[in-house]
Amino acid sequence: MSNDILVITEHMDGKFSDVSFEMVGKAKELANALGGQAVAVVVGGGVSSNVFASDSTIHIDDAALSNFNPEAYGKVIEALVKEKSPKVVMFGWTVTGMDVAAWLSARMGAPCVAYAKDVRTEGGALMVSSQAYGGKLMAEVAPEGDMAIVACLAGSFPVEAGQGSTAATTIASPVDLGSLKVKFTEAIKPAGGDVDITAQAKLVSIGRGIGGKENVELAEELAKALGATVSASRPVVDAGWLPRTRQVGKSGLKVKPKLYFMLGISGAPEHLEGMKSAELIIAINTDKKAPIFNVAHYGATADLFEVAEAMLELL
Amino acid sequence: MLNTVEKIIFILLAITAAGFTFHGFKTIIDSIRKGRPAPELKDVPGSLVKAAIAVLFQQTIFKARKVLSAIHMGLFFGLITYAIVNLVDVLEGLIPGFDLVYGGVHLPNAPTGLINAFNLIADVMSGALLIAITVFLVRRFIVKDKALTFRDNVLLNPKVKAGGQARDSLTVGVFVIMHVGARLMSQAFRLDAGADPFMPIASFLNSIFGASETGVHVAWWISLGWVMFIIPYLSRSKHTHFFMSPVNLGLAKQNPRGQLDPAIPLKVIEGQKFDPGAKVVYDLAWTRVMDAYACVQCNRCQDVCPANFQGRPLSPSALEVNKRYLLKEATFGSHPEKLLLPLTETVISPEAVWSCTTCYACVRVCPVGNEPMADIVDIRRRMLIDGYEIDSGVQNALQSLATNGNWMSKGKRLRGKWAKEMEFPVKNATEEPVEHLWFVGDTASFDERVIPNTKMVARLFNQGGLDFGIMYQNESNSGNDVRRVGEEGLFEQLVEQNMEAFGKAQFKQIVTTDPHSFNTLKNEYPQFGGKFEVKHYTVTLLKLIEEGKLTVKNKLSNYKVTFHDPCYLGRYNGGFTAPRKLLELLGVEFVEMPRNCENSFCCGAGGGQIWMGKVAPGERPAENRIKEALTAFGEGAKDKAQLFIVTCPKDMIMYSDAVKTTGNEGKIEVRDIIQLVAEAVMVVA
Amino acid sequence: MNIVVAIKHIPSIADDLPVKGVNVDFDSVDFVLNEFDEQSIEQAVLVKEAVGGTVTVVGVDLIGELDAVLHLALAKGADKAVKITGDDPAADSHQQAKWLSEAIKGMSADIVFAGVQASNDLDGQIGAMIAAYLDMPYIGGVSSVEVSGNTATVNKEFAGGVGAKYEAALPMVVGVQAASKPPRYAPISKVRQIAQSATIEKVAPTGEASAGITFKKMAPPVAAGHAEMIEGSSKEVAAKIVELLKSKGLA
Repeated sequence: MSNDILVITEHMDGKFSDVSFEMVGKAKELANALGGQAVAVVVGGGVSSNVFASDSTIHIDDAALSNFNPEAYGKVIEALVKEKSPKVVMFGWTVTGMDVAAWLSARMGAPCVAYAKDVRTEGGALMVSSQAYGGKLMAEVAPEGDMAIVACLAGSFPVEAGQGSTAATTIASPVDLGSLKVKFTEAIKPAGGDVDITAQAKLVSIGRGIGGKENVELAEELAKALGATVSASRPVVDAGWLPRTRQVGKSGLKVKPKLYFMLGISGAPEHLEGMKSAELIIAINTDKKAPIFNVAHYGATADLFEVAEAMLELL
Repeated sequence: MLNTVEKIIFILLAITAAGFTFHGFKTIIDSIRKGRPAPELKDVPGSLVKAAIAVLFQQTIFKARKVLSAIHMGLFFGLITYAIVNLVDVLEGLIPGFDLVYGGVHLPNAPTGLINAFNLIADVMSGALLIAITVFLVRRFIVKDKALTFRDNVLLNPKVKAGGQARDSLTVGVFVIMHVGARLMSQAFRLDAGADPFMPIASFLNSIFGASETGVHVAWWISLGWVMFIIPYLSRSKHTHFFMSPVNLGLAKQNPRGQLDPAIPLKVIEGQKFDPGAKVVYDLAWTRVMDAYACVQCNRCQDVCPANFQGRPLSPSALEVNKRYLLKEATFGSHPEKLLLPLTETVISPEAVWSCTTCYACVRVCPVGNEPMADIVDIRRRMLIDGYEIDSGVQNALQSLATNGNWMSKGKRLRGKWAKEMEFPVKNATEEPVEHLWFVGDTASFDERVIPNTKMVARLFNQGGLDFGIMYQNESNSGNDVRRVGEEGLFEQLVEQNMEAFGKAQFKQIVTTDPHSFNTLKNEYPQFGGKFEVKHYTVTLLKLIEEGKLTVKNKLSNYKVTFHDPCYLGRYNGGFTAPRKLLELLGVEFVEMPRNCENSFCCGAGGGQIWMGKVAPGERPAENRIKEALTAFGEGAKDKAQLFIVTCPKDMIMYSDAVKTTGNEGKIEVRDIIQLVAEAVMVVA
Repeated sequence: MNIVVAIKHIPSIADDLPVKGVNVDFDSVDFVLNEFDEQSIEQAVLVKEAVGGTVTVVGVDLIGELDAVLHLALAKGADKAVKITGDDPAADSHQQAKWLSEAIKGMSADIVFAGVQASNDLDGQIGAMIAAYLDMPYIGGVSSVEVSGNTATVNKEFAGGVGAKYEAALPMVVGVQAASKPPRYAPISKVRQIAQSATIEKVAPTGEASAGITFKKMAPPVAAGHAEMIEGSSKEVAAKIVELLKSKGLA
């Protein structure tokens, strides 16, 4: 048993996701408090693993791990965790982390806390803040026992604290990966064509208030000046002014950009669902009672065309 | 007049014609009888007499197209006259010496005055008929009135597409011209002593063609021989409406407009088990099978259909026309197997089925009492049961209604949230007795855009000293739109939930905000044992003002307003006066839109349309309505704010959007009537 | 083919969730079927329709109201419904997964479906845990499943249309993100009919597992409040916004 923190990092196409760095940064903080080490764990090849500020980095490479495979990754992580018996194992509560975290918890009889927004020690004991019930409630929970699995929501901690250049130690798979039941067969690429608005840092989002297809161009210009992409609420897409791939909301995509700049969207609940977790929301609407102003960080009751044009002059 | 051989030929012809005619009508009646049991009709003889009077005065056609209706009236009277004229003509042919020209001079003891009157009427009506039929033929074939055509995206029977209706019209039109023309000629040829002042047209023709014994024979045969062919033909053409529309009108819907027929007939027939709704044509109630035979194919219903206006593939008349052609192919033709084809392949496209807003305009305007809308609801019912893939938005709404009791995916407990935010307590009607149980409805309870108005209603009720309460989480969606989407099972579930809630409450009457709730509570809940006095809030507010419990302190003469009649308050339930009276009391300048009251144009939200995930292209009915309002306002005084007044929470949403999408912000503003009342009585917030 | 769907009855997050002590006040919330379970039921029925077999839906009856959910599943095409009489609204995912696993053991399942997640998965999702307890492989985030012989081919979604195709030897557990077709609608008349005729098998809960966590506090997150309104003419508003964006490094 150790007081180490294992961070199961995630990478795709040769790049680590932000949540990996976020967790390493957090792990360092926890390791300090607990008197252990922050260990970054990299599973799979095709990525340079000397990028973390961890105390050490273990890189497990094997042909069977070159693509994410929940069974293979699970087995490898389980073996490593058994060997290291850390205090905390951190996963991202992501499409890949989700496949392994709870599975590992059940396998090892160790507690698991998902939707983690914060992990800290209180009087030497671990305390996790979990944003469960669709974000409606924040729970403070204390994991029992010697080891806890914590699955963290992306965007909970700063990325920078985890960035560094610790040299990784590459090891072979601690378990035999010869007889897997699950086989990765092929990668699926997006149908292509349009941009992925969920991956954009900045969105200029337009609603009915834009008035007509011909006005979309103004939004495009503003977006270009801001280095952003244009997204829209349902009516705009339904009207055929923008393609379906640009729709934000319940029946569209859920986005979480750094900037969500809204022009003429009143903020129907269906739309809010898709964008409320954006980091900075600025809304321009002519109706001062528009519900969007209860959600936006900044708002202005003004003519969107005038504002957009004036902004273009300043940018 | 006729010789023996001619008489024998005529009688044989008449017998054959009678045989074919009998067969025609028997086929029609047999076909109608194959429909499902319809809701019970009361006092059928009385209704038939009323219908006969309506037909005689052509009352029902004047609901639209006034000029054409007047011409139709001429045609109608002409043909009625001709029924007698033909009888007389037959007598002229069969009885030697029976000749009515010159006041019947050749007849012993002839009632000259009467005969002259008859001659004059017959002569003049012949002219009227010729003019009327010519107008109609010119309209269809030369002017090519668009109102008689269908949009390209409307499903049509191949025969209709190939011009079946036009051929039918031409056949009958040419017959009328030939028949009436020949009849006039046969009289003209009889005038061997020059002009008869009581037969001006025949006399004019006589002045050109003279008298001729052979001419009389030839013209008589053309006139009456035709009839022997055309009468059997009529039963097989759209002109069956001559006979079927008065009957159909007499047997038309007697239940309130706002009460849909049940999905399964209430009348139990031994050994017959019905699936809900309609898949094939004989799944329709017999009264609605008859609709197809009564249909004049005039397309008045298409003219007023908001879905058709938008360019969607729905035409209520195409539905009836297709039904008719389907029935004809199956019963008169050799394709009985077509009766088993789904209505969604033969009569109306699935997309059209889901375009209907159930605004009732088509049923209301129909001169012969047809109910295409009821067919559409029945088709929806079966599509849902059969697992037809429905619009995702509608599905989400239904799913939420099944689990949450509202279509907005909100938790039940949030329904009364707005009330808990009020500065005075709003009673829970399921916990303490109230005089007025306010049935708030989904949109008014949950939609952030509408809640401020809901609160205003509460404040006014409170200020007016109304003893009222709401049912908080015990209220479920009333189910009006659910039923119209065709989800009868869910409708029943919602009714049960509400009935249970009403059971817990003590109240004297229900007041609703939403006209849709108002309709079903008033007209359909009684079928489930819920017999309540139901009022729309406009009526309740008017009463509070008229009784002096609320005082108009501030006349709103700075507003120029128009009012949109919501379908389910106006056309369905006749609630035209209360909102107008309210506006009058508030002192606004009132402008009526051309389409008002019974003729009001649907906003496009009803019948589940507001739930649709897929929004149809084309100018939306609500957008058209905003333009109509602006046109009605005209240039006018610029110092007055122009307001579009609504009394339905759904309208608030539909029209606010439409003002934006038509780019008319700043020119016209949508307000709920409650906002004006609050301003006028200076409600204490 | 024995297809099993493990479902979760969860507090509805359509309402504001009241808290009692350090957990949800389970007596004052409505329970609903986890929305991802609707997808997994649909995917199970689609697989059955493609290759034949029976679909058994099994869930823990936490508050005695699971029947309605099971009736709905039957109306949507499931063949058998089983409820585990858990009778504990606070039963965590570990405990539910254990009970479900024990119940599924007797069903000789070829494939087990579960919703990829649920809003109350504070201690992890049941799909992955059932896989662990039954020693079957697990793939979550799945958006389509095809079964051929003893092999399932599944598509897993990563993000923005990126994904991967996997082949797995059965039996396995699939965490469904979305069925390959949108879930069908079950007309309520059919559900009501089934409610009158269907029998639901009752199973006593066996096995024990615990999340191993202690709740210390539970509360709604601090409300975000109202937007800070930028006043002034359109030009002034534009200038202030640009300034704001620049100060945050966003312009």
